[in-house]
Amino acid sequence: MLEVKDLKVYFRTREGNVHAVDGVSFHVDEGESLGIVGESGSGKSVTSLSIMRLLQIPPAQIMDGSSIVFQDAELVDMEESEMRKIRGRQIAMIFQDPMTSLNPVLTVERQLIEPLQLHLGLSRGEAHNRARELLEAVGIPDAERRLRSYPHQFSGGMRQRVMIAIAIAANPKLLIADEPTTALDVTVQAQILELINRLRRDLGTSVMLITHDLGVVAGMTDRIIVMYAGKIAETASTDELFANPRHPYTLGLLSAVPRLDEERPTELQTIPGSPPDQLHPIEGCPFQPRCPFVLPQCKQYPPARKIAGNHVAYCWVDVTDPEEQKRAMQRGFIPLTEIGRSYLAQS
Amino acid sequence: MSTIQSEQSPQAGIGVELTPELLRKRRGQLRIIFDRFIRNKVAVAGLAVLALITLAAIFAPVITHQTATFDPNTATDVYHIASGPIPGHPLGTDYVGRDEVARLLFGARVSLLVGLASMVASIFIGVSVGALAGYYGGWLDNLMMRVTDAFLAIPLYLILFVLAATFTTGSGSASVIGVIVLIAAFSWPATARIVRGEFLGLKEREFLLAARTLGANDFRLMLRHILPNAAGPVIVAATLLVGFNIITESTLSFFNFGVQPPESSWGTMLATSQDYFSEQPLLVLIPGVAILITVLSINLVGDGLRDALDPYMTER
Amino acid sequence: MRRYVIRRLIQAVVMLFVMSIGLFLLIHAMPGGPDAVLFSPRMTAATRANLRHQYGLDQPLIQQYLSWLKSVLTGNLGFSFASGQPVAAEIGARIPATLELFAVSLSFALVVAILLGVISAVRQYSLTDYSVTVLSYFGIAMPVFFFALIMQEIFGVKLGWLPTCCRTSADTTGFTAFENFQDAVIHLIMPAVVLSFLFIAGWSRYLRSSMLDVVKQDYIRTAKAKGLASRSVFFGHALRNALIPLLTQVAIDVGAVFGGAVITETIFAWPGLGKLFYNSLQARDYPVLLSMLLLGAASVIVFNLLADVLYAVIDPRIRYS
Repeated sequence: MLEVKDLKVYFRTREGNVHAVDGVSFHVDEGESLGIVGESGSGKSVTSLSIMRLLQIPPAQIMDGSSIVFQDAELVDMEESEMRKIRGRQIAMIFQDPMTSLNPVLTVERQLIEPLQLHLGLSRGEAHNRARELLEAVGIPDAERRLRSYPHQFSGGMRQRVMIAIAIAANPKLLIADEPTTALDVTVQAQILELINRLRRDLGTSVMLITHDLGVVAGMTDRIIVMYAGKIAETASTDELFANPRHPYTLGLLSAVPRLDEERPTELQTIPGSPPDQLHPIEGCPFQPRCPFVLPQCKQYPPARKIAGNHVAYCWVDVTDPEEQKRAMQRGFIPLTEIGRSYLAQS
Repeated sequence: MSTIQSEQSPQAGIGVELTPELLRKRRGQLRIIFDRFIRNKVAVAGLAVLALITLAAIFAPVITHQTATFDPNTATDVYHIASGPIPGHPLGTDYVGRDEVARLLFGARVSLLVGLASMVASIFIGVSVGALAGYYGGWLDNLMMRVTDAFLAIPLYLILFVLAATFTTGSGSASVIGVIVLIAAFSWPATARIVRGEFLGLKEREFLLAARTLGANDFRLMLRHILPNAAGPVIVAATLLVGFNIITESTLSFFNFGVQPPESSWGTMLATSQDYFSEQPLLVLIPGVAILITVLSINLVGDGLRDALDPYMTER
Repeated sequence: MRRYVIRRLIQAVVMLFVMSIGLFLLIHAMPGGPDAVLFSPRMTAATRANLRHQYGLDQPLIQQYLSWLKSVLTGNLGFSFASGQPVAAEIGARIPATLELFAVSLSFALVVAILLGVISAVRQYSLTDYSVTVLSYFGIAMPVFFFALIMQEIFGVKLGWLPTCCRTSADTTGFTAFENFQDAVIHLIMPAVVLSFLFIAGWSRYLRSSMLDVVKQDYIRTAKAKGLASRSVFFGHALRNALIPLLTQVAIDVGAVFGGAVITETIFAWPGLGKLFYNSLQARDYPVLLSMLLLGAASVIVFNLLADVLYAVIDPRIRYS
C-alpha cells in the first residue's frame, strides 16, 4: 500500500548538508503494523514527515531519485492540492507532544469536526454527532460536554486521545504515530498503545509506529525497522528481531533498555560513543565508530545480509559467530542472548 | 586589567566575573556577538551611516569653516534667500539666507545631543528603578511598578506638551536641557520593566548565591553580577530609545515647545520652514529626511544588536 | 472572571485617583501655572484678589484639590480660562470629530496592518515581505508631523486633490445630504491616513513576527496534517493565536494614538480633542489641559483593562487568579 524507495532527505544549513534520511526503502502493507525504531536524530521522524509532505522546504529537501508511492500514486512530486486530499483522509498522523499539538484557543469540537467536514463533507450537525462518537470511541467519558472544552482542560493522556480521535476521524488507510507515548506517564503510555492497537483491529487501518523505545513496539507491531544515522540498520518481523537480532546496533538498543523482569537490574547498558555527525557522514557503515564488532571492511557500506524471510541486516559481521563475539567482548561487548526473549515474554 | 588583579590577589575573586577563565569566556561571547552583528549587512550599513552623521556633527565647525568672528550657523547671505542649491551654498539657503549645510550640521549636534543625553538619563532612571524593584521585590517592587504603570498610562505627548509649554520657554541652551530632562523623565518606564524582569529571573541563580555567601553586598551584587547579565536587552532598548527620543524632540520643537532660538535642531528647522514648503521644498525635506535617515539607521543598528545578542528572540 | 474584572476595575480607579493628585499638583505647582496665567500684570490688587477668590486659588492646594475632585465627581470639570465655558461642554463638543477620526483611522490601520502582517509572514522572504519590511522601517522612523507636511504639500497643494484643513468645507450651504457626506469624506482622508500610518508600520511588523512564532508551533503542523488548505491553516488556526499579542500592543498604543491625534489634528486643523488640546496649550488653559490629561490617562487604563479582559476571552488558557 505504501512503498518508500531510496528516500533521501537533506537539510541545508550554513555549514553544509545534513543527511537526515539517507537512502531508506521500506513498505507498509494493508492492515499491517510497522515499527520504526531509532535514537533521536536517526531520521525516523523526518521519514514520516516526508510521507506526509509536511517538511519545511527549504531547509529540508527531498533529493532526486526518492520515491514514496501510496496506493499507486507518487507523493514526492504530487501537487499540493492533491496532497491535501491525502493528508488526514488517507494518511493521518499523531504527534509526540499532545500538550502542544492541539490549538489552545479552539475548542476540541472545532478541531475535531474540521477533518469530518473537509474530507467526509458532513454537515455541521452530522459532524457534531460523529465527533461525539469519536470521543467515545477513544475512551473519553462525558463526550458531549467535553466537546465544548479547550485542550488545556484535558490531561496529557486525554489530549493524546483527542489527537487520535482527530487522526481517525476520516477513516484513514494509514495512521502514522510519531512517538505517541513519549511525553506521557508510564501507566498512560500503555493505555494509549492499547487504544491504537484496538482501533487498528477495529478499523483495519495500517499503522506506522515510530519510537526510540523498543519496549513500545514489542507486542504492538508486526514488523520492525531499526534506523541509524538516516539509514536502515536492520529489519525483521517483531518476533524475529527480538529473538534473533543481527545488527550490532540492534544489540546495543536491546541492552540499553531496562528490563522489568529483573529484580535488581544489573548495570544498565548504554551504547558507548556519541551519536553520529550527520553533517559529515563517514564513509561506509555509520555505526563503525561505536561498534564493538568493527572490521576493516566496514569502511565500505555493507550489503544487505539476508538472514531469513524478510529479516535483513546491513552488516558485514555475523554477530552470532562465537569467534566474532569473543573479539567484540574484548572491546566491551556484553552478549545478551536472553534479553530479546525476555522482552517477548513481557509483552 | 582585572585579569591581572585576580591573579595577584585570589581572595579578591569573590567576584565571579574576575576569574581569568570567565573573562576569556565573556570575551569569546563578545566575539561571537560581534561576528553575528557584522554578518548582518543592513545593520552594518546603518552603523556606517550613523557614524558618518555623528562625525559630520562633531566636525561641523571644521566642515563649515567656523571662526571666532564668523558663525556659519547664523550668518545670513541677504542676496540669497531660500535660494536652492547654488555655488557657495550646496544645499541652498533658508528663508533668512543662512547656509542650509551649516544649519543641517549644527542642527545635527543638537538633535543627536538631545537623543543621546536623554537616553542616558532615561536608561539610568529605568535601570535603577527596575533593578531595585526586581532585586528587593515585596512592597518596594509593588510600589515602584505601580508608579511605572502610572507613568505609562499618561499619554507621552500630552504630558510632554503641557510641561514643555512651561519648562522649555527659556532660550537656547536652557531649552535644550529642559527638553532632555523632560524626555528622560517620561521615557524610562519601558526600560524599568525590562530590567525588573531580567533581575527577577536572575536573582535566584546559583552564581549569585555563591557570591552572596562570599560576602558580596547588595549593591555590588546588583551592579557587578546581575546587571552585566541583563546588559543585552538594556543595550537594545537604549539604542532604540535614542531614535525614539530624536523623534520626540523634533515633534516638540516642531510645535515650538522644544528647542528655542538661538539653538536649533532639525525639529526647529522644520518648524520655521514649513510655511515655505511650496516655494522651497528643500527647506522642509532636508531636516525631515535627516531625521528619517538618522532614526532609521539607529533602529537598524538596534535590531541588528538584538539579533546578534539573542538570535532566537526575533525573526527578521 | 467577574471577580477578576472587579478587582482590575478597583485597581484602575485607585490608580486614576492617585494620578489625579499627581497631575493636579504638577499643574498647580508649575512655574507659570494657573496662578500666573490668569492675571495680567496691570490688574489692581483688588481685582486680583477677587479673581483669585472666584477661581478658588486663594485656598490651600489641598483644599483646592478636594473641591476640584468633588466637582469632578459630580460631572463638573471646572470652567475654561479661555472661553469661560464649562470644560465638560468644551470637551464634549469636540468628541464627535475625534471619534470619527479615531474610528476611521484605527480600523483602517488594523485592517491594513493585519493584511500586511499576514502576507509578509505567509510569504516570508518574498519580494512582498521585503517591501513591507522596508516600508515599515521607514514608517517607524518617520516623524508623524513630517509625513503630514509631505502629504499636505503633495495631495493638498501640488495636486489639489484633497483639502488641507478642517472637517468640512467653509461654506456648505445648499449641499445635499450626499454632497455633505462626500465633503466629509474628502476632508477625512488625509488626517486619517496620516494618523494610521505610524500604527500600520508598527502593528504589521508586530503581527508578522507573532505569526512567524505561531506557524512554528506543533498545532499548526497538526492542522496541516488534517489536510487543511494553507488559507484555512493561516486564518482558521494561526491568525487567532497571533492576534492575541497584537491586541495588547494596540491597547498599549492608545496613549500614542492620543499624541498622534494632537499632532494630526493640529496640522490639519481638525476640530477635535487634539486641536482643543493644542489651543488650550497656547492659551495655557489649565482646567482644560488637566481634564484632558486625566481623560487621556483614563482611556489608556480602560483600554488596557479591556485588552486584558478580551485577552482572557480569546485565550481560554488564561486563568483569573
